[in-house]
Amino acid sequence: MSDPSPQLQLSPGLTIGYTVPLARASEAISLGRGTHFLLGRNGRGKTTLLRTVARTIRELEGQLTRHGRMRYVPEDLSFDEELNAKSIFKALIPAPRLQAALDLARRIELDVRKPYGKLSTGNRRKTNLIVAEFSLDPDEPNILLLDEPFSGLDAYARQQFEEIWAESSGNTLRLVSCHPDYDSMEMPSVLVIQGDRILHETGDGQTWSQLKSQLN
Amino acid sequence: MPLFRLTLTTLFRRKAWAVCALLVLGMPFVLPQLSSGTENPALLKPALAQAAWCMAWLSAVFWGFFAAARIGEKNSRSGIGEYFHSSGLSATRQLLEIWAALMVFVAPLGIGAATVCSLAASPAAADERSMWIATNFQYGLLFILVVAPLIALAVAVASRFGSLTGFLVSAGLTTYGLYGVGYMKLLLSIEGNPLLSWLWSASPHYHFADPTERLRYKLGAIEWSQFPLLLAYFAGIFLLYTAISRLLFRVKAA
Repeated sequence: MSDPSPQLQLSPGLTIGYTVPLARASEAISLGRGTHFLLGRNGRGKTTLLRTVARTIRELEGQLTRHGRMRYVPEDLSFDEELNAKSIFKALIPAPRLQAALDLARRIELDVRKPYGKLSTGNRRKTNLIVAEFSLDPDEPNILLLDEPFSGLDAYARQQFEEIWAESSGNTLRLVSCHPDYDSMEMPSVLVIQGDRILHETGDGQTWSQLKSQLN
Repeated sequence: MPLFRLTLTTLFRRKAWAVCALLVLGMPFVLPQLSSGTENPALLKPALAQAAWCMAWLSAVFWGFFAAARIGEKNSRSGIGEYFHSSGLSATRQLLEIWAALMVFVAPLGIGAATVCSLAASPAAADERSMWIATNFQYGLLFILVVAPLIALAVAVASRFGSLTGFLVSAGLTTYGLYGVGYMKLLLSIEGNPLLSWLWSASPHYHFADPTERLRYKLGAIEWSQFPLLLAYFAGIFLLYTAISRLLFRVKAA
């Protein structure tokens, strides 16, 4: 077994963008295991940063160091419309974890026999999240990048996933882009894209209400 | 092989393979009944052989290439390619896994046609029968060798330019290779244009892999001394198209 602690390091000067720079880290940022949120206004580079970390696009300048098995779940991830969730799970989730995935699907009221094309947006999102969460290797460090995983998700399902995140935070680093929908949402570690700067804000008890002023 | 399993499941669930199986295994027995073969029993078996191979080619082109193009486009435009790429599955590996899953369904079309011909249309005479089986075995191999790189090409072109383009490129190349080069040779015999002559030489001569004439007129198997040359020719095209496919394949649409 390798070192189970995942890590993600952004060097000072790391610049993201496609051809034109979108945002730049002014100081070194180091993220360890646990959940880290990624906040920023529309078009400021949240998805671009996730794609850069996922190696789908290259950084324009600077360096990114990753330690852990990566998975990036794009916001628009979708499977074949004829497939049902059970078939998708069987194809992509390792056999020892399949039953746990089906149990979670039942708890969050995801109909695993309904074709993916006939599922609502929220239920499609549940399917994608279950695939990503249960594909993680419990014996290896993992980095999971989630782009807007909560959009369309009901509160109960969201709570279930947050419980899974808390349980598996020992060997998993999650970087989650989102638009929080309640002021008291706790965010102890947040990457904020403010203007063209990438900042790392930390603090126990830090909430969305304290952070949102930075985005304006 | 997660993408292989996902593609395999997708193809299985879509069920179009069942129609192709019916075409290759069932239609060869129906179509000769509609032809002039019923007036002359001697023509029935050659007609059955011709129908079996026609169904295999038509299924490969109209279903195989279409399914390949659809899956190639879906992989790059739905985030699936990006998801697997981030988890360490390289573009080469993704193309290989998608291709392998498609071949699980497409290769049996050639095997099915060869089996139908061997079991249901074999000549009565023992020496003719062994020749007939050898011919079908040879053409089964050639069919797979021709179709395999065109499947990869349909996936790759579709991942970059969309499913319609992916399908048309592979279907167009097959039609041209099977029939178009014959017309070009005819044209060359009328007008000895050096450009046309070069184009003809560089064309994929897929008609060498079409056994219908040979089976219909019982011309016998390809000489075993010549067969490796034919295999090498199609293996060369296989390598060329595979390289082009890898260059074109994208895991994420631009």
